Amino acid sequence: MAASDDTLTKVSTDAATDFVKSFYPALQSNRPAIAAYYTQPTTTILFNGNAVADGNAVQDIFINQMPPTHYEVQSYDCQIINQAYPTPATAATPSAKSSKAAAKNMSILVIVSGFVRFGPSKDLPQRGFSETFVLVPNPANTAGKEWLIQSQNFRLVV
Amino acid sequence: MKSGKGPKGRSSTADRGGIRKRGPTRIDRDGDLDMDGGAGRGRGKRGRDSGARAQAGGRPQVWDKTLNAIHEAITTNKDSQANIRQSKSGGNLEQLSVRGLKQSRAASHRDGGVESLLGFLERRLAADSKHGTRAKISKSRVEGDVFVVSVRPELVDKLLKLSGVQFAGVALTIEPYSQLDGMIDQPMPNGTTPSTADTKSKMTAILGRRYYQPTKLLNLSTLRNDPDLISMGIFGTASTESKFFPALMKVWDMNFNSSTTKQEAVESVSLADNQLATLTAVTTLAQTFPDLKNLDLSNNNFKDSQSLIGWRWKFRNLEFLDLTGNPISADPTFKDTMLKWYPKLRFLNNAEVRTAEEVAALKRTPIPNQPPYFQDDSQIAENFVKAFFAGYDNDRNSLLNGVYDSHSRFSLSVNPTAPRDQQTETAGWDAYIKKSRNLLKINYLPARMSRSCVGAERIRDMWKSLPSTRHPDIAAHPEEWLIECHPIPGLPDPSGQSETGVGGLLVMVHGKFEELNAGKVELRSFDRTFIIGPGGGVGGIRVISDILCLRAYGGHEAWALETQPIPQQAAHPAAPEGYGMPGPGKSDQQVQQEQLVMQISGKTKMTLQYSEMALSGNGWNVDAALKNFEELKAQGTLPPEAFLP
Repeated sequence: MAASDDTLTKVSTDAATDFVKSFYPALQSNRPAIAAYYTQPTTTILFNGNAVADGNAVQDIFINQMPPTHYEVQSYDCQIINQAYPTPATAATPSAKSSKAAAKNMSILVIVSGFVRFGPSKDLPQRGFSETFVLVPNPANTAGKEWLIQSQNFRLVV
Repeated sequence: MKSGKGPKGRSSTADRGGIRKRGPTRIDRDGDLDMDGGAGRGRGKRGRDSGARAQAGGRPQVWDKTLNAIHEAITTNKDSQANIRQSKSGGNLEQLSVRGLKQSRAASHRDGGVESLLGFLERRLAADSKHGTRAKISKSRVEGDVFVVSVRPELVDKLLKLSGVQFAGVALTIEPYSQLDGMIDQPMPNGTTPSTADTKSKMTAILGRRYYQPTKLLNLSTLRNDPDLISMGIFGTASTESKFFPALMKVWDMNFNSSTTKQEAVESVSLADNQLATLTAVTTLAQTFPDLKNLDLSNNNFKDSQSLIGWRWKFRNLEFLDLTGNPISADPTFKDTMLKWYPKLRFLNNAEVRTAEEVAALKRTPIPNQPPYFQDDSQIAENFVKAFFAGYDNDRNSLLNGVYDSHSRFSLSVNPTAPRDQQTETAGWDAYIKKSRNLLKINYLPARMSRSCVGAERIRDMWKSLPSTRHPDIAAHPEEWLIECHPIPGLPDPSGQSETGVGGLLVMVHGKFEELNAGKVELRSFDRTFIIGPGGGVGGIRVISDILCLRAYGGHEAWALETQPIPQQAAHPAAPEGYGMPGPGKSDQQVQQEQLVMQISGKTKMTLQYSEMALSGNGWNVDAALKNFEELKAQGTLPPEAFLP
């Protein structure tokens, strides 16, 4: 039942890629969809050291306080944290369809580096940021998402 | 607004005096520097120069060759190394140049007269001094026919006053030492064609004459009228003309041995009165002085923004720009375009176009910085981080043996295009790029697998191949680090007993390190996230994940706590905690309004509620609100509860 290394690598890097390609555009232009990226409850969400309660609070901040924001991801990497992440729904899922399904019971660490512009103009300063996520499985597949944010830490670094 | 911005902003106004300066300035005797020193000697050589001029005029291709050679010399970076001069003296000694030794009778001594000149100067210094034996010349050296002495700062004036004194049959000239001094003493070639060294030394002299150290101004205005450049035949052909400016910039570069001192040396450049219609000839200015604050392009022929497009993304720190006397200034979109191009621009054509506050506001973020979030009850993360970076710098093996096991993971990713600090050149990525697991670039599954290290042994191989590093001491330089930490559940249980996994810590570190690379110290920034959990390592922990992101040095200003926009008044007696202060979930506008409310309340003694009503009823205009208050008070229409108890 143990998934092979290449399956694990593929699952984890695909998860990180899909996440990065969908989450940052949502922060930019699909803000009402932000809350759906988070587990309920989350562990810790931090923006520049400010603790934010949960995905709904993140969505509120982006809708009500953030100017139009442009993110540019310049690099990202990921690692598997726990190959056998205790996913509550696993037991409920009809006995593992395949090793691929089993491989999806993992938690993933993602680190992203890039820049962000706060405001509509392209001439505003580009601020470097670093962001760390922990992604965990979403067996219920809510909002069509296989992975959800369990914790997040955003910091401007340049 | 950062507190430092105010005076900086103001100083750019003062710099305007500097950038306006025309022609060589000889600096007074008690003054500091005489950058004109080179000119005098340049004139002395004019006799020989005129020979070269005739030659150059007749054979411009020779100049071409010479200018090419300068390019080459520098691009290969070998020849130039020898010419790069140490600009700093040891300790806090000051350097002065003494001229005349070569012409003196003492020059025939076996040591060229060095010993007797030193003795002479020290005796003269001691003669009219109470310092007695302390009047020592700490260091000396010969550079061409300049004798360079280093003395303690308190002796500088005394030594300068000795200028003109008779020594062994000559009058000595004593001046503050200029970085560019030594290079103009390259011997003239015996042949009739100008050599690379000769051109270089002439250019160095020209730069020296046009550089005003006290205001950090490099005045490259009216180059076509420069007699020395004319005599060099620079403007003889289009070919020499196009190569001249890049060569001049290279010569400037060669006089500095570090990018920091180079960039600190010049804040202002004037290219006024040069008949420039495009940037083609001068575009390299942006490479040599990327952090320029003041740029004078007045009285040229730039007709539209397209003619300046080459500098669209350059000079990110430009505060002052003068394009008066150019057709572009008449363009109705001129001001808006320049404001867009240069986010720190404050003065355009000598008019203020942005206040320091407006510049600061552009950089402010919607989510204000808070101190690092650090939830680490038993100081596990704190101890780990301290030990980790010391170990990573000094003994990677012990670190691996101590807290990494066969399941620990490590990978690194390079962000080669990250925003950077303007003050530094970006170091190359050769040592890392083949190991980088930046998933944006690495799409092929086998590469994704091979670039991820699982287990202490694989990590050891990887770390052995990475350059050695030196991270700043955390206790001594806490501002250079940002370290955050919080607990995380669901980690793998090494004992395999817990079905729900075990708890651990997620630790995120941002900082910088130095790297010794082929004798050169490179500075880089990094972001490194760790997950540590219970395990069999030192201190009962193990590293589960270690993920490193490398990027160009970006400083540490980004995570500094923002200072209050308005100096905090004494706490308002009725204000709730945090009122008028930035905080999570609070917009800048709200913070400003709360501060205005406190201001009105302080002046009128009205409650916060009534003060807010006064302001909101008057469009948040303080003066209008106060006026309105006075009227209502005079009419007696304000109820007693409007006032503070």
